[in-house]
Amino acid sequence: MKFTYNDMEFSVDKAGKAWDITRGGALVAASLFADDKDGEAKAAALVKTIFPVGIKTVPPDTAHPTMVGDLKIVPPDINHSSFVYWNKDSVSQPKQL
Amino acid sequence: MEIKGSVAVVTGGGNGIGEAVVKFLVKKGAKAVVVDMSQSNIDRVLKDIKAMGGEAIGVQANVTSEADTAKFFKAAVEAFGKVNIVVASAGIIKDGMMLNLDKETGKVSKKMGLDKWQPVLDVNLTGTFLTVRDGAECMVNGGWQGIIVPISSVNKCGQVGQLNYSSTKVADELLPKIVVGEFQMRGIKNIRVVAIAPGYVATPMVAGMNQEALKAICADVHIGRLIEPDEIAAAIAHACENEAIDATCLEVTGGLCYKGGIAK
Repeated sequence: MKFTYNDMEFSVDKAGKAWDITRGGALVAASLFADDKDGEAKAAALVKTIFPVGIKTVPPDTAHPTMVGDLKIVPPDINHSSFVYWNKDSVSQPKQL
Repeated sequence: MEIKGSVAVVTGGGNGIGEAVVKFLVKKGAKAVVVDMSQSNIDRVLKDIKAMGGEAIGVQANVTSEADTAKFFKAAVEAFGKVNIVVASAGIIKDGMMLNLDKETGKVSKKMGLDKWQPVLDVNLTGTFLTVRDGAECMVNGGWQGIIVPISSVNKCGQVGQLNYSSTKVADELLPKIVVGEFQMRGIKNIRVVAIAPGYVATPMVAGMNQEALKAICADVHIGRLIEPDEIAAAIAHACENEAIDATCLEVTGGLCYKGGIAK
């Protein structure tokens, strides 16, 4: 079974009598729910627990050129539809700060 | 407690001591939950476990986050139905002196900043606390037999250049006594807590150090070499199996000594 969830591609595949879960090429779970008739469904449900909606875990990008200690400096996305300059008024959103 | 058939949750399970513990317990028949910050580490360890014929899930998580600790325990129960062994192995170092002096003036030229202090406390102490707390909650509510293993360090004795790290590791050593005391007060009898204090372990990071520096370290170790990660894992496995070990901290150091031969 292949499915997209929370913008990520997952695959639940039979491995002998059990089930493996992969995300992209990475193994998320190995040899689960052996001999369980609902194993495939349980494995698919487990994905939602390991990767809950709203929490997309991104590890530190240690190769990023703009590291200060452990902090990765990411500039604002000024092209984002809801981006508002802090020092400019907006007719569409309440003034902040 | 028998390891075969048990479920082990290991934070920092994607490398170093944590990886060795995961694989050692899987070899003895445990099912594993590998918790790590790095998905690529999780992927590598899970592929090894699969090749060993073991069962495991990997959860990318940050142990300093309550949402994340709740997440990996929930995933453990959903995948395997219970939790029996919790090893809080996730830890970091950010060594440095509290004060550095200017050689010419003798005045303070640099202080240890919160950038070095806070992350070490967050991961090694708060992260261990959250893992121990949520692991215990899981075992109490599930009624499962279990053991919780915080990882201390021989440098709990107070290592210069590691004010941050040593402060967390002495707290991690103390944790079993307080938590088991509270279990005793509350009538919780199904969970033991045993800390492990490793000496210098041959993790890839340590083994890859300057070889002269490594030789100097080994000169202070009674057995004359670094501890193997599997030797730490074996101590944890023994603590799991031997019910008489509880509310204490086991040192596995190979006889690490101060200069002059006094054991640390």
